[in-house]
Amino acid sequence: MKYLLSLLLITLSLYSNEAQNIIKKLEKNLRGDYMYATMKMIVTSKRGKRTVKIESWSKGNDKSFIKILYPKKDKGITFLKIDNQMWQYIPKIERTIKIPASMMLQSWMGSDFTNDDMVKESSLEEDYRAKLLSKKGNSATLELIPREDAAVVWGKIIIDVDLKNAVPIKQTYYDDRMKKVRVMTYSKIEQHGTHRIPMVMELKPLDANKKKNRTKIIFEKINYDAKIDSSYFTKHALKRYSR
Amino acid sequence: MLFSLALKNILRSKGRSIITLLLSTLTTILFIIYVAFMDGSHHQFIKSSVEIYTGYAHIDLKGYRDDSGYENLIEDADRIDKILKNDSSIKEYAPRFETYVLLSGDEKAVGSLLAGIVPSAEKALSKLQDSLIKGEYLSDRDTNAIYLGSDLAKRLKVDVGSEIAMVGSSIDYSIAADLFTVKGIFKTGLFEFDSQSAFVNKSYLDTVMMSDNIASYFTLNFHDNDRIDKMTATLQSSLPSEYEAVNWKTLLSALVQAMLVDSIFGYISISIFFVVIFFVIMIFSYVNIYTRAREIGLLRALGLTSKNIFGMLFTEILLLATVSLVVGTIIGASIAYYYELHPIVISGIAETYKEYGVVSDEVPMHFDLFTIAWNALTIFMLNIAAIIYPISKINRLTAMEAMRYV
Repeated sequence: MKYLLSLLLITLSLYSNEAQNIIKKLEKNLRGDYMYATMKMIVTSKRGKRTVKIESWSKGNDKSFIKILYPKKDKGITFLKIDNQMWQYIPKIERTIKIPASMMLQSWMGSDFTNDDMVKESSLEEDYRAKLLSKKGNSATLELIPREDAAVVWGKIIIDVDLKNAVPIKQTYYDDRMKKVRVMTYSKIEQHGTHRIPMVMELKPLDANKKKNRTKIIFEKINYDAKIDSSYFTKHALKRYSR
Repeated sequence: MLFSLALKNILRSKGRSIITLLLSTLTTILFIIYVAFMDGSHHQFIKSSVEIYTGYAHIDLKGYRDDSGYENLIEDADRIDKILKNDSSIKEYAPRFETYVLLSGDEKAVGSLLAGIVPSAEKALSKLQDSLIKGEYLSDRDTNAIYLGSDLAKRLKVDVGSEIAMVGSSIDYSIAADLFTVKGIFKTGLFEFDSQSAFVNKSYLDTVMMSDNIASYFTLNFHDNDRIDKMTATLQSSLPSEYEAVNWKTLLSALVQAMLVDSIFGYISISIFFVVIFFVIMIFSYVNIYTRAREIGLLRALGLTSKNIFGMLFTEILLLATVSLVVGTIIGASIAYYYELHPIVISGIAETYKEYGVVSDEVPMHFDLFTIAWNALTIFMLNIAAIIYPISKINRLTAMEAMRYV
């Protein structure tokens, strides 16, 4: 009996180690020291479809700078994220505004992403405890439960992983009452330098009122190799690089 | 014969009759006033909340109350405007466009409700203009003028004349941003409202938010707000099916429920008072009747049946209770009526209870004939019920027992 029990524990710990290793590999692949990208964000809602073009520069997971290129009305609006804080510069009124904590759960640029999604340096590896639910060939399904001390809003995340490319295929988010709230799917995997990246991401909220909503992000250019000047990650950059 | 005997008894023992009369009259008056005061303060709470900003009824797109985002807006406000204009039961109405934005003074950005209103129409629909404490109220021709709640102004560290930046989302979800000058500051006393609300002339805000001919909802007053349920139902029937007419009872359901709970507690406390009153009357009647044991024994010896005795004593209390019912109701109702017109002023009550929506030191009573009638009848029935036991007890004695009773 004792033998069986210890065997079970060893198997479980091996499984959990394996799950943790998968997440580690995944994050290593998706994240680089620096990343420059241009992308298109297509927001679909009951009111119709809207496209926003974005240019972004980021350093690690906690510093990023975003500039809106399109539509014309929003051109030149910049966002700066440092750690858990976010600032926004609006050329029309020439003001830099720090987004207060109370507005963090508001939608970002009318998309299904919240300001909080943009800011949180959610490291799946650090914030969640992974458990392998199933594994078949090159695909695996993991359950991520937040660690006690992690400041995350989700109750759990179920993630389907493409093990060969070390990329996520689908992420299902649950709230703290374990109700499914949104699903993110990833597709069109491409090689960029040493990284293999899903070039298309689609977020779909599962709220009954938002049946028609979805936000699709399509990466157009992506570059992991070039070092980004640190001047991008200062408050001055908001105005300076707005033009 | 029993009636005249009862009347004679009442008139003969004046002291006893007066005490009984006083006891039931005062109880009637007290009960009527207590309920009028309780209902009056509840009505005052609700009236304040309704009249400050919410309004007596709204028309919105079905689903708006669950999700007040841009996906549930009235997209053709002119159409609703036309329907309301032709409805003779509506006294006044106006569209409102509400959105959540970031407002920023020099230092701090604060998330706030920003509402586009028709300033002239709001004068009759809300207390926004009456709550002005500094600067000026908005006008229908204002452009970059903003009307701020006093606590919001404090949070933003701005005053009349200061410039503030607004960043929000246009209805096409592009970023809407503009600079506004603080034109006026208001204070309604509702802390949450004063710390999270700002107003702009709707016709200008529509150009910033691209919300021309769009409204979050229409707010309105009926000519007869007292029959609000019927009025709302009639209005609903004239609206296109995708819209709904809802009145304050639904819009402020949390407050209505809180008032209901408070009423229940009020009635629980008053029922304790009833129990006390019931026993006081019963003991008093018991003592009264037993002091008359010899008299009752004599009447029995003279040939009156126990039924006759019951009838006589019951008629006595019926007469006294009827007099106190009439006198108590007249006095109680007059007091309730007077204090409905001239509310009691409890200075400081608004300050103490401002977070509960109390915005005035005046607490009026509520004069309602139906309520007064059931209050008075309750005390009347209590009087009658309290006498049954003592009468039936004395009736169990034989004539001899009663006459010898000490």
